[in-house]
Parts: sequence; C-alpha cells; structure tokens
Amino acid sequence: MTLTIALPSKGRMKDDASAIFARAGMKIAAVGNERSYRGRVEGVDDIEIAFLSASEISREIGNGGVDFGVTGEDLVREGLADADARVEFCARLGFGHADVVVAVPEIWLDVDTMADLGDVAADFRARHGRRLAIATKYWRLTQQFFSAQHGIQLYRIVESLGATEGAPASGSADIIVDITSTGSTLKANHLKILSDGIILKSEACLVRARKPEHEGDPRVAEIIARVQAALS
Amino acid sequence: MPLINLPTFAADMLADFETLGTLRVDTPVIQPAEPFLDMAGEDLRRRIFMTESETGKSLCLRPEFTIPVCLRHIETATGTPRRYSYLGEVFRQRREGANEFYQAGIEDLGETDVAGADARAISDAVAILKNRLPDAALSVTLGDQAVFEAVVAACGLPVGWQKRLIHAFGNIARIDTLLTRLATPQPVTGLSADIEALLSSGDDATLVAHLDETMEATGYSTNASRSPREIAARLKEKRALARIALDGRTLDLLREFLSLSVPLADAPAVLFRFAEKSGLTLDGALSRFDARVAALGNAGVDLSPITYRAAFGRPLDYYTGLVFEVTLAGSSAVLAGGGRFDRLMTLLGATTHIPAVGFALWLDRIEQAMSATGKAAR
Repeated sequence: MTLTIALPSKGRMKDDASAIFARAGMKIAAVGNERSYRGRVEGVDDIEIAFLSASEISREIGNGGVDFGVTGEDLVREGLADADARVEFCARLGFGHADVVVAVPEIWLDVDTMADLGDVAADFRARHGRRLAIATKYWRLTQQFFSAQHGIQLYRIVESLGATEGAPASGSADIIVDITSTGSTLKANHLKILSDGIILKSEACLVRARKPEHEGDPRVAEIIARVQAALS
Repeated sequence: MPLINLPTFAADMLADFETLGTLRVDTPVIQPAEPFLDMAGEDLRRRIFMTESETGKSLCLRPEFTIPVCLRHIETATGTPRRYSYLGEVFRQRREGANEFYQAGIEDLGETDVAGADARAISDAVAILKNRLPDAALSVTLGDQAVFEAVVAACGLPVGWQKRLIHAFGNIARIDTLLTRLATPQPVTGLSADIEALLSSGDDATLVAHLDETMEATGYSTNASRSPREIAARLKEKRALARIALDGRTLDLLREFLSLSVPLADAPAVLFRFAEKSGLTLDGALSRFDARVAALGNAGVDLSPITYRAAFGRPLDYYTGLVFEVTLAGSSAVLAGGGRFDRLMTLLGATTHIPAVGFALWLDRIEQAMSATGKAAR
C-alpha cells in the first residue's frame, strides 16, 4: 500500500514543509516538471506526495483521501466536526503561525473580555432591533467558542470570504472572528483582540488521518518519528 | 398521499385536540430560516436542515412548530385569544433518534388569565399523555423564570448583574461561573489617560462627543452599530461595578434559592419561608406563582407528580415565566415540554403584546414509552 502525504502546493508553506521533510531525511522531488502536482520522496517507492492547496489538504485528511498532510490547525478544526476523533495532530511544525481571534472595534472601550461581549450581545436586540453580527469565515470555531465555551447564543454570523477586518467599519458586521499573525491588519482597521478572545493558536501541523490500516504499519510510525526528530 | 410513518395514535391525539377546543393548523414544511436563527441563536444552524432559494434566501425544513404557528397567527391577523394545535413532521439533527420525527402541541396565544392559561397548558399536556399511557407514572418538572427574576431584583443587585444572571438562567454551569465571577471585583484596565480624566470629571456630554469624534476619525459609523452614547453608558456602569463584588450573604441566598427542589404542593410555603427568612420582598412573583398552583388544583390536576425546581429554565430570551417538562417517572426522555413565551410574539413582529404559552409533544418518544410500558400501538 502506498502512503500519500499532502503538502502545500505553493508559497512559503510549500518551502517550509519541504525543508522539514528534507531535514527528516525525506527529500521531496517533484514528478515531472517543477509545477507538477505530484511528487515523491527520493529513494522511497511507496510514499507519494500530493501538492494541494491548504484547505484541500484539510478536507482530504478529513475524508481519508490522503494519509498525512501538512496544513494549518485552524483549517482542520474549522473544516472537520469532531476533528480529534478523525485526525491526529502528530507534530507542530513551527511555521505558518496564525491566531484565530475575536476582535471588536477599539472604540468599544467597555468591552475587554468575552463576558463583556456576552453582556453586549444579550442587550443587542433590544437596542438595535437585530442580533450582534459577527463577520467570519470560521463558522464552526466561532460557534464552538461562543456557544460551548462562553455560553453566548445571541449573535448572528455574517459569512465573510475576504477582507473580514473591514466589516465593522463598513457596517456589514459589528465584530469579527479572523486569523491574525502580527495584529497589524487589525490595528490598521481599529480593531482590538479581547483579552480572552484567542480561540486558537494555530500553526502548520503534520496531521494524520486516523485510518485502521495505519495500525501496526511501521512506515506510519517512522514518518511521525522522523518529522518529530527533525524539529528537535 | 397517506403518511405511512405517522404514529398510529395520531388520530386519537387529534381527537384530543378537538375535544380541548383548539383550532388545528398546518404550516409549510419549508420555512424561512431567519426567524429560527434569530430567536434560538447560531447554535441552531448546525442542527437544522438549511438550503437556499434560487434568489439566495435562506430556507430550512421546519425544525419545530411554535415559530411557524406564531408567524402564521401574525400574518393572518386573527384576533386573540386563540388556541392552536398542530401535528406534523419536524426536521432536526439529534444526537439520539431520527432526524425527522413527529411533534404535536398546543399554542395558546393572547389569553390574559396567565395563571389559568399556564395551568391549562400543563393540564392538557398531562391529559394527552395519560390518554396514550394510562398506566404509566408520569413525572413533571416545573420552573418559573419570573420567581428567579424577582429574587435577583429583591437582592438589590445592580441592573447590569441582574441582566447577566437572568440571561444565564436555566444553564446551571453558567450561573455558577457567573456567581463566582461576580463575587470578585473586576477592575477596568487599559483606558487611556484622557478617557480616565473624562470619566472622573463626570462630564458625560464631553465623553460622548469624544467617542463620536474618534469614531468619525477612524471611519466608523456612529449609528450602524453601538453608538457613542451606548458605549459611554456601559463604560460608566462597568467602572461603577468594578469597585464592588457580590457579598457573601447574597451569594449564599442565590445559591440556596437555586438549589430548591420541592413538591409543587409545598412550593408556595417553601418560597414564602425563603422570602421571609432572607428578608426579600417577592410578593408579586409569589402571588402569581401561588395563583398558578391554585389554578392547577382547580383544573383537577394531580399535584403529587409535579416537582418545582427553582433553577429550571430555558436560556432563551423570549421565555418569561413558566417552564415545564413531562417524563416517565425515573426516565430522562422528555415526552412533553412547554412554557410561557410572552416576548416571542413581539420579537416576531406582532404590533401588540400577546401573552403566549404552549407545549410540544415528542411523538416518537411517546411511542417508545407506549411499547416500553406494554401499551404498544394497536
């Protein structure tokens, strides 16, 4: 049986992932030309590399289309219900850092915590005739964080597929849930992160699809061990 | 087309509804999703079956009947009081049980005799269940948000805290976290020196003007979301509360109240003693509670299987008073659940205040209970 590892198909993520695999003694080579979407590990026949976009990788790990993948934890947790039961986070790779955060307008001087936000949300309908609107592309993470962790039910999600940080100023939402790495985009849009508003500290991870055939397969254990060793 | 999966006792249940003098209504299976998400919150989104119309409107398969029945009432502009009944399929993703199942129920809209209408809802729900399960021992849990609201108000807590507590009512874990947090002062930090100065000076107008200017300067609309006035008011309230904490005595009182769980017949006396001992004035809420107990007695309802649990409520902001659930004694499967939702009709767009109380019956669980108690469907 061939094992498939999905790696990011372009950009920094691709280079960083290849570098770690090289350090782990698994040098990745493209099959055919440089822009090919297939690759292999030099000197190994039964491991295949699939170059995919980061969001495709999380989907493919979720449905078992690949055995391993390198992708952001945020994409996996957002894309898969019950992520920990379906995949294993084998190693945190130290790049692709991004926090998924709750951010509100800076001018909301009275709102520093999720508890403050809960108060505001509870009153919002009575004051404004509508629910508090959250712009985000992270539906699942937002729902889990607001409902399950903070007991905040009274809000509406406004789907945002880009430039989420502009939603509060443009009036299309009141607050946002988005990723940030340096916080500079939030600052430029006069948004602040709530003190307990970090939903997830995400980074690129080596993720394994939990498949029964992995049990007792020495190659699976070896890939994990090698990548972990390359990080230390 | 006959619905072949309809429970065999459906016809008997409809006959009960007719005997009880209700008007049977039906609603489309495909409903606009907005009202459900708006009333119950985003958490519902994961549990309902949503789709989109050709024009991009969010639609869903009917997840329950209360909202469609209430909307229909508002649209048809029929007068009140009205008692509607329904029986049909609802669609919801559940941890246990099928995703499509039957519910039936009664919604009593516009009855101003609150105690009488409350008692009738419980009495009808129990009677309908008894007709299906004549030999089963039923157990009823009853709660009352209005009593909790009265306790919180009588404790003299700041309005902001009252709102938080009432909002969390019905969720024991959240109430507990909240009480613990209120018992420790929560300082306000991170304010700039000029804001601090404005707050200390008590010059509200200047503070509001300052917020207004800042919003204009940073490209934020002052009326699309929270206004400068609203932010300033809550900031002041928060600063005032930052210096105080819930005192130990009040904390104990609230905890003691929330732990009350007594037979309903004893509840009026227990609540009276609690109010007397704690020195809280709960007269209005308690007399309404007592009136409901009396109305239940007058309706001939056996009070012995009914337990009053002070912490029992639903954390939805349109529930206002009574909540109740009926199970088989010793079981946790809810066969019927209901309550008073006096705020729902206006939230849904009614122009006048319409008091409302109702309950829903879970037909699949009733069917299971019937086979479990040896009274399998004929």
